[in-house]
This record gives sequence, C-alpha cells and structure tokens, in this order.
Amino acid sequence: MVVAAVVAVAEAPASNPSAWVTPCRWRTNLMAERPHYTEIDHTADVGVELRAHDLVSAFERTAACMFDLICHLDEIGSAWSRRVTVRGRPGDLEHLMVRWLSELLYLSASSRILLSQFKIEEFDVEGRGAGGESSIVAQVHGERMDTARHSLRVEIKAPTYHSLRIEETPQGWAVRVIFDT
Amino acid sequence: MSSGKSGENRSTSRGDLTEVAECVWEIARTGGMRVPGRIYADERLLPQILSDKGIEQVVNVAHLPGVVRYSLAMPDIHWGYGFPIGGVAATDPSEGGVVSPGGVGYDINCGVRLVASRMRREDVADRIPDLISALFRDVPCGLGSHGAIGSLSQRDVRDVMAEGARWAVTRGYGTEADLDRTEDGGCLSSADPSTVSKRAVERGRPQVGTLGSGNHFIEVGFVDEIYDEARAAAFGLELGSVTLMIHSGSRGLGYQVCDDYLNVMQDAVPKYGIDLPDRQLACAPVESPEGKRYLAAMASAANYAWANRQVMMVLAKRSIAGVMKASEAELGLRLVYDVCHNIAKMERHMVGDKEKLLCIHRKGATRAFPGSHDDVPDCYRSAGQPVLIPGDMGTHSFVSAGTLTALEETFGSSCHGAGRVMSRTKARKMARGRNLADELRGMGVYVTAKGKATLAEEMPSAYKDVSDVVDVMDRTGIARKVVRLKPLGVAKG
Repeated sequence: MVVAAVVAVAEAPASNPSAWVTPCRWRTNLMAERPHYTEIDHTADVGVELRAHDLVSAFERTAACMFDLICHLDEIGSAWSRRVTVRGRPGDLEHLMVRWLSELLYLSASSRILLSQFKIEEFDVEGRGAGGESSIVAQVHGERMDTARHSLRVEIKAPTYHSLRIEETPQGWAVRVIFDT
Repeated sequence: MSSGKSGENRSTSRGDLTEVAECVWEIARTGGMRVPGRIYADERLLPQILSDKGIEQVVNVAHLPGVVRYSLAMPDIHWGYGFPIGGVAATDPSEGGVVSPGGVGYDINCGVRLVASRMRREDVADRIPDLISALFRDVPCGLGSHGAIGSLSQRDVRDVMAEGARWAVTRGYGTEADLDRTEDGGCLSSADPSTVSKRAVERGRPQVGTLGSGNHFIEVGFVDEIYDEARAAAFGLELGSVTLMIHSGSRGLGYQVCDDYLNVMQDAVPKYGIDLPDRQLACAPVESPEGKRYLAAMASAANYAWANRQVMMVLAKRSIAGVMKASEAELGLRLVYDVCHNIAKMERHMVGDKEKLLCIHRKGATRAFPGSHDDVPDCYRSAGQPVLIPGDMGTHSFVSAGTLTALEETFGSSCHGAGRVMSRTKARKMARGRNLADELRGMGVYVTAKGKATLAEEMPSAYKDVSDVVDVMDRTGIARKVVRLKPLGVAKG
C-alpha cells in the first residue's frame, strides 16, 4: 500500500489557514448531498463500504458516510463550523482513520451537533510534521441537532478496527468501516 | 500484533465443532489459539450461530495472552467486533493475562434491572398507553438524550463514578435496599475517577438518568408463566403481577472511556509484544500500568451506569405512581435485581484444583452466581442470583437463577438476551411498507420509539427466539429458568 506522506490540499494552504476562503455554499445553511456507499450486512452493528479517487477524499467521504448513517446528510445544514485537528501513530493509516472518526463523533456528542461537510486541509500520515505524529487538520460544518427537524436514524458509539480496510485499488481507494451502534 | 489486519482470518463450519456434552460444542485448539473454544447451543440455534462470524471471534479471543480454560460463547452469540456478543473469557494475571477493552465494549456496564410490583395485569390493562407516554416523558430517551436530573458538575460526575448507585440513593433516588439488590452493590470499589478523561466526564454531565437509543428500552410487562415456584417466590414474582424492566448503560461517558483506552492499548500491544488476530482485541497485561488504569476507568464508568439505572428506575417508579394515582408503596414497586452484561471484573474462580484471581470479561453475558456465593445477597441465598434476560420487544423476557454449574463451567456466566440474527440493514428492508407499531399492537404490545428506524431494526424477527437461548442455559444447568415475562408496553430510544 502506498501512502502519500503529506498531502497539501489546494484550497487550504497549510501555511496560512486563515487565507482559506470559505466557499459560498457554506456561508448559507445549505444541506449537503448524501454520499454514495454500501451498508454492510453485519449482524449487530452497522458498517459501510465506499470508494474515493484519492486518500484525502476517502477520509472525507468516510466521515460523511458515518454522519449519513446517523441522519441523512440532506437534512443537515452547514451554518456551524469548527476547525478540527487529529493526531495518530505515524505511518498507521487505520489508527488515523479511527482517530479522525472518533474525534468527529466526540465533537458531535459533546456539542450536540450533526456534521455534514468535511474539508481536510492538511493530511500527514507519516508524521513528517512537528511531534512525529500523523495528523489531519480539517474544517467541518454542520448544525445543531434538532430532533424536531432531524430524523435521527442510529446512534453510533464508535468506529472499530474490526474488518477495517483502507486500500488503494486500481479503481481508487476502497474503505470499509464497521461502527459499534 | 503486527499491524493487525483481520477479523476475517478463517471461517468455521459445523465440521469444526465437536459436541462434548449436551448443548456444549468445542472448537479444538489450532494455530495461535491458547485454549479451545466452547459454544453453548442446541441443534436449533447452531445453524443461526454458524451463519455469521461469531464463532471466528470465539477463535480470535482464544489467542489472548493468559486466557484460561476456554474461550466461551453463550447461546445468544452473534458477530460483534473483537469479542463476539455473548462471549466470555477469563485471563490469569499471574500468567501474563490481559484485559481488553474490546472484551467489554463501548457501552461499559450495559445492563438490565427488573422491578416487581403488586399490580395485577388487569389493573394496568387499559392504562398501558398512558404508562408508556409517562415513562417516555419522564425518562429521556433517544440519541444523545439528556437532562433527566439536570446537568451535573464535573465534580458531581467524579462522585458518581466513585460511588455508583449509592450516589443516587444518598440524593433521594431510591433506598439502601436497592443497593443490596444490585450486582456488586452498584459500585466497584476499584474505580478511580482520576483515570477517566475530561472528555468522558464532560459527556457524562448531562446524561445521568437517561436511556439512550438502539436496543435500550423501558418495558412494562407481567409474569405470564412460572417454571420454578420456590425461586419465583424468592424473587417476589407472582403469576400475573406487573413488572418493569430497564435496559441501559453508561452512555457517552462509557463510550469515551472505551475509546480513550482502546487508543492507549494500540501502543501497549507492540510494547508488550502481544500478537493478535484482530486489532479490536487490543489489550494490555492486567498487571501493567495500562491494564490497571483501564480497569480503574472501566470500573468508574460501570459505577456511572449503575447510578444511571438507579436514577432511571426511580423516575420510572414515580411516573407509574402518577399514572396509577397510588403511592409506590401501595403499588409494591420493588427492585428484584440489577445485572450488568458488558464488563471485566476480577473474580476468584477454580482453575483445576487451584483457586485463582482471574479477570473475567463478559461481553454480552450475565453473571450467574449460585446462592452460596458471597457476592449474592442474603435474600437470594436459597434461590441463586437472578439472571435477567430481555428478549425482543414482541415476545418474552425471562428471569433465570445462577447455579454452581455456571461457576464450575462458565466462570459464573450465562446468556444476556435473545441475540440478533438479522442485520439492522436487513431488518429495515424487511420492515419497508409495514406498520410495525400496529403489528406489535396486534400482539398485545404497545410500543413507542424515539428513533425513526428503531422499531424496524429492533423488530422481533431480527432476533433469535429467546426461549431457545434460555432453554439451552437451563438444560446445561448454567442458569435455571424461573419465570417468563410478557411485554405489555415498551418505550424505546
């Protein structure tokens, strides 16, 4: 598996995050589109399989799928925004994915927020940056949970390592995650 | 563990199982297994059990360092992550035995409590919708539910984690007698709140007294069949009497503790040179700093769960008293017992002819001690510890009693429920176009659920027949069947 060490995402220069311009669609409270994924037939829990053309979008999409399981993304606006930093073991893609998804779940639970849009600005699997840890810096958008408006589908307790797959294939990156529900 | 890919290393077929006693199937030790696997099941349950990856997980658990005797599975076994649901494993700290957060799960001390009453089924027959609405109103249900007793301070949450159910009792939620009828008195003294992260504490602040979602529920039912008169009498369960059952756990605080320590264990696994077939089984020696801290944090979350169920029970009793326009004493509302079914505990058990202090992981398994055990309250000396087994919301739940056989064969453990047989996805597909609430009403069960998909995902056909599961435990002498409960109304998250 070849893992890009540092992926600088074009719209989000790591050196100057404040220079990043929020796209118009995030200034209003527009609903996100639902991502494409397949739900895995797991007896007790819920899992997803998805594809993405590159590793960064694979991480973004997996986050979108996780929140789509909680509440369809086309019901979630984007007025609320937060910058998120996640760190993990260097060179350990699975660990970084679990930390990324766990961090977003924590953010959602502690702030009673549903997230709908995920833009990774800095992505460093090998830990070439400070501290020698792998890291993700992302801007995430969503809105306050409102049970009158949001049809909540399932409570996700956590992403698990069980059967976790993040692999580069000839068709792009393939991800499979099983969540404890 | 190398980089730990797996969970899909081998499949198990009927040919890999040998029936070593009635309803007891053994998987021989192969490869890196340190002990054989043992599955409790009958001919009816076995095909369902073989249809998913639960048995592979029994094999995976048999790889844990220090595991003793067997990697066990109760008849409600099904595919989980890391451990199977319905899995029991004991590790010996003196032999490098490990503790694995994956052997407890995210919902630390998820458990059940049962309340008996003097109310007769006829007394509540036309009040069920009112009762369920009142319970739904007074006990916050659903995803991220909060605010049952207001938001606690961080210091209060630390007190909850140190004191467990007693924290609730000293604040007017229940009585001393409730503590006597709670596993471990509703408090593991090994708790150390300083090992719990600020994040976990923060998540715990608004959630004491809340049910949560998924398969958690509050159920009003009645005793519709008695199998063992003497034990039923000891448990205070009369034919036709109304019962209240609560199923919930440690909420977001427990999930965060598991998440935090699973992360710690990712570093512990290479540090202690542990080799595992599934990364979700990440663990550390019980005697290591990582293992000790996890057990102290897990005990803190377990205590939070006991306080949570104690508060919920009191809120629910008040609701019922309000609807029935009678006092709780007049209604005879009294806790029968509270058991946990997701936990790791240090317990003394016989291994060969030696008594050993072992770390017992029960992941979707209930403690089932005989009456002679020191940890069983005096009121159940003759009957044995009540084992509470909720079924699906349409059929039945059961109360059994722990036995000496359980202590000898399964480290004092029994089943915890019906066990899923159908994925949530498949259940939702099968429920399309159906009105499950009406169907359940046709079966005499009034159900209200907060989550949109909850009724579909939790529909009766998504589960094994709980009677089969309970019968296997009875036939093998692990837990004696005492009474059957029929649901009348259910409030779900």
